[in-house]
Amino acid sequence: MTQQAGSPLIHVDQVSKRYGDRTVMSGVNFDVGPHEIVSVVGPSGCGKTTLLRCVAGLTAPSGGAVSIAGHVVTEPPEGVGVVFQHFGLFPWKTVFGNVAYGLTVRGISRREAEPRVRELIGMVGLEGFEHSYPHQLSGGMQQRAGLARALAIEPRVLLMDEPFASLDAQTRDLLQLEMLRILDQRPAATIFVTHSIDEAVLMGDRIVILTGHPGVVHDIVEVGIPRPRGREAVDSERFRVVRDYLWTVVMKGQGRQRADDGSNSLVNTHREGTAE
Amino acid sequence: MSAADRNLPAAARTSPDARRAQRLPVMRRGIAPGRGAGRPSGLEEASGAEAEAARRERTQVFLARVATGIGILVLWQVCAAALAPGYIARPLGVLGQVPTVFGDQSFWSAAGSTVLAVVEGLIIAIVFGTVIGLVMGRVRDVDRALRLYVDSFYAMPLVALVPLLTVWFGYTPLARLAVVVIEALLPVIFSVAEGGRSLSAEFTDVARAYRAPWWRIWAGIVLPASLPYLLGGIDLAIGRALVGAVVAEFIASLNGLGYYILFNVRSFQEDRAMLAMVLLVAFALAVRVPFSMFVRRELPWYRAG
Repeated sequence: MTQQAGSPLIHVDQVSKRYGDRTVMSGVNFDVGPHEIVSVVGPSGCGKTTLLRCVAGLTAPSGGAVSIAGHVVTEPPEGVGVVFQHFGLFPWKTVFGNVAYGLTVRGISRREAEPRVRELIGMVGLEGFEHSYPHQLSGGMQQRAGLARALAIEPRVLLMDEPFASLDAQTRDLLQLEMLRILDQRPAATIFVTHSIDEAVLMGDRIVILTGHPGVVHDIVEVGIPRPRGREAVDSERFRVVRDYLWTVVMKGQGRQRADDGSNSLVNTHREGTAE
Repeated sequence: MSAADRNLPAAARTSPDARRAQRLPVMRRGIAPGRGAGRPSGLEEASGAEAEAARRERTQVFLARVATGIGILVLWQVCAAALAPGYIARPLGVLGQVPTVFGDQSFWSAAGSTVLAVVEGLIIAIVFGTVIGLVMGRVRDVDRALRLYVDSFYAMPLVALVPLLTVWFGYTPLARLAVVVIEALLPVIFSVAEGGRSLSAEFTDVARAYRAPWWRIWAGIVLPASLPYLLGGIDLAIGRALVGAVVAEFIASLNGLGYYILFNVRSFQEDRAMLAMVLLVAFALAVRVPFSMFVRRELPWYRAG
């Protein structure tokens, strides 16, 4: 089971976002504990990425607020690492330069940052490529660099916006497991946005299901698979149960009825996101 | 695998070597690390033969170019000798004038005058053009206000302005400089503004997410991202600057290569005029060729991405 040292680190409180007449999401409520991974899953257009941007401080919510460690997020806060779907590496910087970016903008010199950057480059498996440019790397390697960049600032919070969506299936599988292993060693309050139901179940301790236009929290599911997780987690009974429930909810929009019937008694659901 | 991890002593679990040992096999394509590398490893034997073939091809291309050049010159000489009046320039005649022209001090002062004007004008145009272009590209209101004028001036034949400029600045080198600056300014503004507009939102998202201050965003992201566009604009500006300088010299009778050409053509000394043209071409190449080599070498990431 996940270790949660005390109160939640991220608190999303009735967050909504409007662009003119169009409401993208509304009334989103959930918490993330300091060492917890929360997956956010839902169909296209339900506001998953917008939600992540609100937590990251890149977008201001129209209603409600996000707070991290008790402070309301109005601009990108310290100690928050973000991993982007299309990697977001600067093409004119080397891998080293990119990974060190979060430290560089704080005024930390290259020499000071070097040991930590090198360690992280090694940790994500990019040893030897410190002086390569992003265009010389495959997509998987670029995202590893993106991961290393987020980890370089020793974040309390890690925000990942469909980080493996732009990768081929094999690389995706590999990086999912590597990410889990890295987070076991360096836990952070993590929000993992994804389209993929399987990925949401594999990565998350809990899953926030967003559905509808505008997006609302349909349900929050406790995954209940112990850490550390390896490839075998995918074959477990629990994985199948959770995945099937998610499939029903997200794909067919019938989950609410089934849960109310009690016909899916193996699934624990938490409404409105109280942390365990 | 998870059970094995848990059985390791705590020190081993966290040391960098242990982490490396535990790491899952990394799926890497055969890309050799390091700057500019791109050849797959494991083809060592083939690389020798490849280099040899490349060298042979480069020699063939070179010979073909030289042969074509000589062919054109021969054709020109023969046609001119057979069909044209005596004062029409021909290759042998041009060669004959080399000692006269290259020994003439006033020729070199004219050449220097033109070259200096072009270089000065380019520098001014690049500095101001970059600043204006960046502001236009990134500040929506400025863009909306200026875009119409930039587009219009870019499209019109600026040489039509030269007589006007010679009235404003007189028949002085300042008029020529003004022409060069205006000719060079517009492609730079145009290109840099385009670069600023094309800046991917993801780059600024990354910068903001990692709390980069505004000046770091301008210097560290907007500028490098616009660099390829700036260099494209400079490439265009070089050509236009030369044209502007020569036309200004024609119209304002200023000392320079353009005027030298005009004067000698009107004096039926076309061979000499032709030499001045050759020098102009050489100057243009001398600036543009190292320039594109520099771009290709220093910006591999732009070419590839």
